[in-house]
Amino acid sequence: MVKRFGAVEALRGLSFAAARGELVVLAGPNGAGKTTTVRILTTNLKPDAGRAEVLGFDVVREYRGVRRRIYYVPQDYRPYGDLTPIEYVTGILMTRGAPYREAKKRAREWLAALGLSRAGRTLRQLSGGEVRKAIVAAALASDAEVLFLDEPTSGIDVEARREVWRALRERVRAGDCIILTTHDMGEAEAIADRVVIVNGGRALYEGSPRDLVSKIPFAYRAVVRKPAPPALDHAVDLGDRLIAYFRSRSELEEFVGGLEDLSQLLSAGSVGLEDAFILLLRGGAA
Amino acid sequence: MMALWRMLGAAYAELLLWRRQWMWIAQSLMALLGFAVLSSAWGGLAALRHMIVASVFVGTWGIGINFIGQIVGWDRLSKQYEFYVASPLSLAEYYTGMVVGQLPFFAVDVAAPAAVVLLLGVPPTSLLALLAIALAALALGSFLSLAVVLRIRNPMNISAVTNPLYTLATILPPVFYPMSALPQPARFLALISPTTPLAELARWATGAAEACLDPATALGLTAVWFLVSAVALRGVLKWGLEN
Repeated sequence: MVKRFGAVEALRGLSFAAARGELVVLAGPNGAGKTTTVRILTTNLKPDAGRAEVLGFDVVREYRGVRRRIYYVPQDYRPYGDLTPIEYVTGILMTRGAPYREAKKRAREWLAALGLSRAGRTLRQLSGGEVRKAIVAAALASDAEVLFLDEPTSGIDVEARREVWRALRERVRAGDCIILTTHDMGEAEAIADRVVIVNGGRALYEGSPRDLVSKIPFAYRAVVRKPAPPALDHAVDLGDRLIAYFRSRSELEEFVGGLEDLSQLLSAGSVGLEDAFILLLRGGAA
Repeated sequence: MMALWRMLGAAYAELLLWRRQWMWIAQSLMALLGFAVLSSAWGGLAALRHMIVASVFVGTWGIGINFIGQIVGWDRLSKQYEFYVASPLSLAEYYTGMVVGQLPFFAVDVAAPAAVVLLLGVPPTSLLALLAIALAALALGSFLSLAVVLRIRNPMNISAVTNPLYTLATILPPVFYPMSALPQPARFLALISPTTPLAELARWATGAAEACLDPATALGLTAVWFLVSAVALRGVLKWGLEN
């Protein structure tokens, strides 16, 4: 897909695939093209060139077929604050064609599944995390086969986020497809079957989180307080501390052993998706 | 049947909103009562009849130009619009849902004055014609409002645009007073407002006051306004697949 906004090239030939029963995370820095991609796939935007299909339906020529089968939660989406969660989810399900009673029943079930069954207050009176849970509950209660969720867990606390993750994984296990964007690599690592790393309107990587981590030339990392020993092959400066990367355990142990003061070492462990992501963006992945 | 539920789904949130924000409806009712007292105190039954007849289509004009414009503006700001685009809901269902969602206002601003119109001796057939004019005012008001609102790049305060549009088109031109009260040159100026031919049609249909325009001219002017609003709307009203 190619998409331009005036002189800005938002997408420069981005391409990827997602299958049923799969949760695909689109990750990338701000302005990478994630939201533009999702807006094209959800028929909100028209691509300038290239084509995209959702469940075999062309997103431009057969947009009606696409719209009947998808569910989209836009980034920074804010529902009416004067509705309670049950009213909000019921109304949303009705706009998808569900009769009132059925919509209300499904709304109750999914709100209960996400721990919001007793939320009798309006969305305006709920916390940001509870509102996001109500939004996700509506998505999960829908009959859509493909869910597009643009940063659905932003602003949710850790515990609530895990409840949402669990619900999303259950939906995927039932055979549906979820395409989710996030900045949080921890989230991507926890729930993605595959990640697509997007930068500058292109897909830099498409595959499992584990494969991406294995592509970088480092296996371990340590966070140390400065001043650190000067002989570091690869390190990321964090101001008064830095993240050091090591190819092997022995290299890490040698580094720790060389520290003058052990209290300089703040943490040490295996590299994760966030490290791989940063190294990939900097061109450091194999 | 599913289309009906989809439309009702769009209306549902609006209806619940008004249930919680009922003071707006009370304010509308108070304004109508106040206007009725004011006009009858100064002009007796004839003034009251004229004011009430105008209220029927001014009510729908207000729903169209003010509420529909504000809802769409808010929906774009809150991303509800994008959300709806990527769903089975069609533009026609969304629009109808928004209109149906204003039922409490139809009850206060249209049904109540329409009942009074009957009590004041206007024949039912004339009332039907008046309601048709009210429907045209609703459509024209919403089209014009959307043509303006959808051109606003940053729709932070839509009411700052739609409220003046509503007031300018209902208070200044000959809507609540007869066109014949204006001097001749001012009558031409009054034709700038789309509500002027609608008011003339309402006068002609109900006999509430003498109409200055013949019905064919008033209908023609209304048709021109529909054409203008449709052209203005064509470039900006998109249900997804935006460039």
